[in-house]
Amino acid sequence: MKLSWKWLQEIAFLPVDVFTLAEKLTAAGTEVESIEGVAPNLVGAVIASVREVAPHSGVSHLKVAEVEWGKGSARCITAATNVKKGDKVPYGPPGAVLADGTVLGVRDFDGASSEGMMLSAEEIGLPSIQEEEGILILPPDAPIGEDVRSWLGLDDVVMELSITPNRGDLLSVLGVARECCAIIPEARLRELKIQRLGDEGEWPLPFEGIKLLHDGCLLYLLGLATDVNIAPSPMNVKVKLALSGMRPINNVVDATNLAMLLLGQPLHAFDYDRLPSPEITVRTAKDGERFMTLDGRERVLTSSDLLITSGGAAVGIAGVMGGANTEVTESTRRIVVESAIFDPIMISATSRRLGIASEAAYRFARGVDPAGARPALEYVLQLLREWGAAVPHPIVKSEARGSRGSRIVSLRGTSLKKYLLSGDMDEASKILARLGFEEVVREKDRTAFLVPTYRLDVSIEEDLIEEVARIKGYDSIPSRLPPFLRKPGEKGTEVKVQARLREIGMARGYAEVVTYSFISPDFVPLLRFKPDDPRSSAVSLLNPLSKDQATLRTSLLPGLLKAACDNVRNGWRAPIRIFEMGRVFCAEENGVLEEDHIGGVVFTGKEARILYPELLDDLLSVKADVEAFAAASGLKLSFVPGEETFAHKGQSAHILCEGKRIGYLARIKPSIERELELGASVYAFEFDLSPLTREFFPRYALGDRFPPVMRDVAIIVPKGKSADSVLGDIKRLASPLVCSIRLFDVYEGQGIPEGQRSLAFSLEYRSPERTLSDEEVEEHHRNLRAALSREGYIVR
Amino acid sequence: MADLVEETKRLREEFYFKLNATSSSEDLRDLQISYLGRKGALTGLLKTVGSLPPQERPEAGRAVNALREELEEAIKRRRDEILFLEEEELEEKQWLDVTLPGRGRPWGRFHPVIQVMHDVIEIFLGMGFSVALGPEVEDDFHNFEALNIPPHHPARDMQDTFYVDGGLLLRTHTSPVQVRSMLRYGAPLRVVCPGRVYRRDSDPTHSPMFHQLEGLLVDEDVSVADLKGCLEQFAKLVFGRPVKTRFRASYFPFTEPSMETDVECIVCSGKDPNCRVCKGTGWLEIAGEGMVHPNVLRAGNIDPERYNGFAWGIGLDRIAMLKYGLNDLRVLFTGDLAFLQGGWL
Repeated sequence: MKLSWKWLQEIAFLPVDVFTLAEKLTAAGTEVESIEGVAPNLVGAVIASVREVAPHSGVSHLKVAEVEWGKGSARCITAATNVKKGDKVPYGPPGAVLADGTVLGVRDFDGASSEGMMLSAEEIGLPSIQEEEGILILPPDAPIGEDVRSWLGLDDVVMELSITPNRGDLLSVLGVARECCAIIPEARLRELKIQRLGDEGEWPLPFEGIKLLHDGCLLYLLGLATDVNIAPSPMNVKVKLALSGMRPINNVVDATNLAMLLLGQPLHAFDYDRLPSPEITVRTAKDGERFMTLDGRERVLTSSDLLITSGGAAVGIAGVMGGANTEVTESTRRIVVESAIFDPIMISATSRRLGIASEAAYRFARGVDPAGARPALEYVLQLLREWGAAVPHPIVKSEARGSRGSRIVSLRGTSLKKYLLSGDMDEASKILARLGFEEVVREKDRTAFLVPTYRLDVSIEEDLIEEVARIKGYDSIPSRLPPFLRKPGEKGTEVKVQARLREIGMARGYAEVVTYSFISPDFVPLLRFKPDDPRSSAVSLLNPLSKDQATLRTSLLPGLLKAACDNVRNGWRAPIRIFEMGRVFCAEENGVLEEDHIGGVVFTGKEARILYPELLDDLLSVKADVEAFAAASGLKLSFVPGEETFAHKGQSAHILCEGKRIGYLARIKPSIERELELGASVYAFEFDLSPLTREFFPRYALGDRFPPVMRDVAIIVPKGKSADSVLGDIKRLASPLVCSIRLFDVYEGQGIPEGQRSLAFSLEYRSPERTLSDEEVEEHHRNLRAALSREGYIVR
Repeated sequence: MADLVEETKRLREEFYFKLNATSSSEDLRDLQISYLGRKGALTGLLKTVGSLPPQERPEAGRAVNALREELEEAIKRRRDEILFLEEEELEEKQWLDVTLPGRGRPWGRFHPVIQVMHDVIEIFLGMGFSVALGPEVEDDFHNFEALNIPPHHPARDMQDTFYVDGGLLLRTHTSPVQVRSMLRYGAPLRVVCPGRVYRRDSDPTHSPMFHQLEGLLVDEDVSVADLKGCLEQFAKLVFGRPVKTRFRASYFPFTEPSMETDVECIVCSGKDPNCRVCKGTGWLEIAGEGMVHPNVLRAGNIDPERYNGFAWGIGLDRIAMLKYGLNDLRVLFTGDLAFLQGGWL
């Protein structure tokens, strides 16, 4: 909320400077986000009177004006069309500086020189009251030669306040002034003179009354003004509105806005003569009822919206926006002004659903002081009279529904001590009194306070404790570590395992990345996921920020691939190794299944210059990384040929953990590599972290005492036959003395028939009881070779 | 006998001449064999001793053996010389440019936010807080209602929410894990809940996805002082040095009273009015916190008359940005390697 420092000082006596005040407001919960001068650059602009306006001899759209500015007269060239003889205008003589920092001089316009300029509202720092025609016309009584900046009150600063949603009472100059007086003991509110109006009596024109048909309207007041003369508001009012971030419209609308800004009560003026019938009824809308709001848009309503109606027809959406049908216009002669209290939840719901973020709805949603409705109405009518804009009638019509007693909340000394470590009730009572809370009863163990009508947020003891604490200042409350450590903190297996995996990824040359959980739905076609693949059933966001972030990822792969592609597109040439740990989400029948995955993408580099080509990654180097991740949890994974739709058919594996498939390791399909324009091979892996999420206590044991005897065997097998299956056969056929079998050579080429390869294994024979003799081992090994041959293997 | 003496002398001279000519271990081995081997010259000479008259034999034998020992000793010395020279030569030949890059994969990189997350977890573990995790797709109850944010509460405007089908949403904070933890473990309780959160907002200082770490302590007689102590300790440990903190009043529906914590600007220490990090205010907000609202305790099935507590939320991304001097939040989630490798080595 924008707040003029000068306006605040009109309402309260504040013996502090604006920066000190801002610091104190911030500490007490109302953050001052910025303090900015209104037109800090503006220097030297003065009020001038226009003596003469004549056309420019050369250029048809320019005019030559003669102005009197106190220190003589000057000739100005202007393109503005709204200046006429006798007008008072802001004038910047040569040397003056405009709000945007421009320094004025003497300028030539096709043969006629302009000594400085007549100025527009924008040029003096008031863009929101800029009118199309150009020059800002000042009131006729503006004193010639006076400095524009001080005369218009632009030597002001505006604070931007961040008002928390519980403090609807601070959404006004008065509210902030009250808060200032609570936090600065020497500050005082100044008296605001508002003339009281009566209740008893009739209006001099037909009016059948106010009917409230729904509890959503607690109080409804109407004032009447006749002889309306729609005109611009006084200049100082325009400036006040502008500094508060509102655009001046006309005197009637501006009066309601000014009263709202000052007192916090939203108000609305209806054109009396355009009311369908001389009565007001507040009711809920019918489902599907249509209504044109004054911004010219048709709204479709529901039965949860509250309407202001007249003669059965809607004339306003309560607390949100008035209707086009009864809007105040140039020709309006009589108005009724509404000041009402509506239910915060109803107004909030309607304004959200319709997407109307009006100043009124904003305030009603946060709670408006019911006791302020009447003075606000009286104040508007008083302004209209003072400005000569209308003749208010001295009688106010009102209707209330239900009644709300005043709220009393108790505070216990024990609670105060528990929360703040100090149970000084006298001090608390003094602080609360400054905030408008009146002590009503003090008992031995508790004191009751009457909550001011504008503090709708205070209803429980903790609320009072907060009031005491924030005014005392949190910095004055001591600090200590919580006294009882009941048990040590436990990290939990998930975090432990993830911490371990990060270390492994780091040590194996991976960069850890974090990519968005929401991705473009295009990943399904990109990765060729089939409809029956659960990963194609992504959860869609109902309100995504963009199409690229419209669905929740079902796999880490799309995000990792995108990260790799983005890097390559940005000119990254070196190999890429990235991994991520995070959630994936799959749609399920009743909800969303979340799993923590680890995934990685390895790219061998685009046109990379590589010093050690033997280090270039391939599927098996990446496989070693996957094995390392699992080994850290004491798990040995197995890999079987896989069939991911996005994988290279010849280089794809399912990752199995204890027989269960937990993920994939694959080279990305060449056609996808092409689509991604990567220009080199990409490998990827991803698996569910839950099997790894376990405590792991490795075992240690002494080695065997007796020395091993080593023997090799080489076997020629067709290419499609996996090393794992050969290994399995050897294990099955070998003597029980064989304690380890290790593949040590894979060879194809010269000496091996086409389509075949040779696998060489090293076997370790060992007995736990004795040293084996060469002859003994030789016999076992011969038997193994014979058995392998019988199985159909060609043993070399 | 005289012949033998003469022959010994000749052999000795000849040997030394050849020994001096050796230049490798192989030469030396050949030399050794040709003199001292089974068919070597000296062995041959020894055989002739037997043909001498018996009274001459002992002296002749001693002379030949003395020569043998001398030659063996000479070969040994020469071998040491040659090995030394050969090693020199070999080492020269095997010269390696030690300034070449190490062969192997380079050291990887940690993501700054995840690093901070683990660091912060460690800090609170030390204060007795255990880690609790929860779902990222939440329901309205855990994300809002149980946290004292009924439908249409204006506080919902503070957190623009992403919705998915089935009345579910992406959690807007880690606070739902508070409620889940209370329901699961009861009081007393100390947990921290780290994780991703989502809000519908995107600009240089707001990302639609970011990371929070929620903390919750529920016990008997908990005070604002305890809360301040925990967060002051946190600030000191996370930035690795004592930092000034201040506590301001604020508002969250799920805490009462509510506060926010600022630390002294870690870049300018409040001394630079044009500081871009603190915008000249001298302070940086690092946490929002407060005493748990009785309604939230009730939603967590905890008796607010017996127990109370405090909770806080820390923006981990913000801490990471401050700690590592980053200025655009959104680059954190692009996997940009140039960025990730930026401050390293």
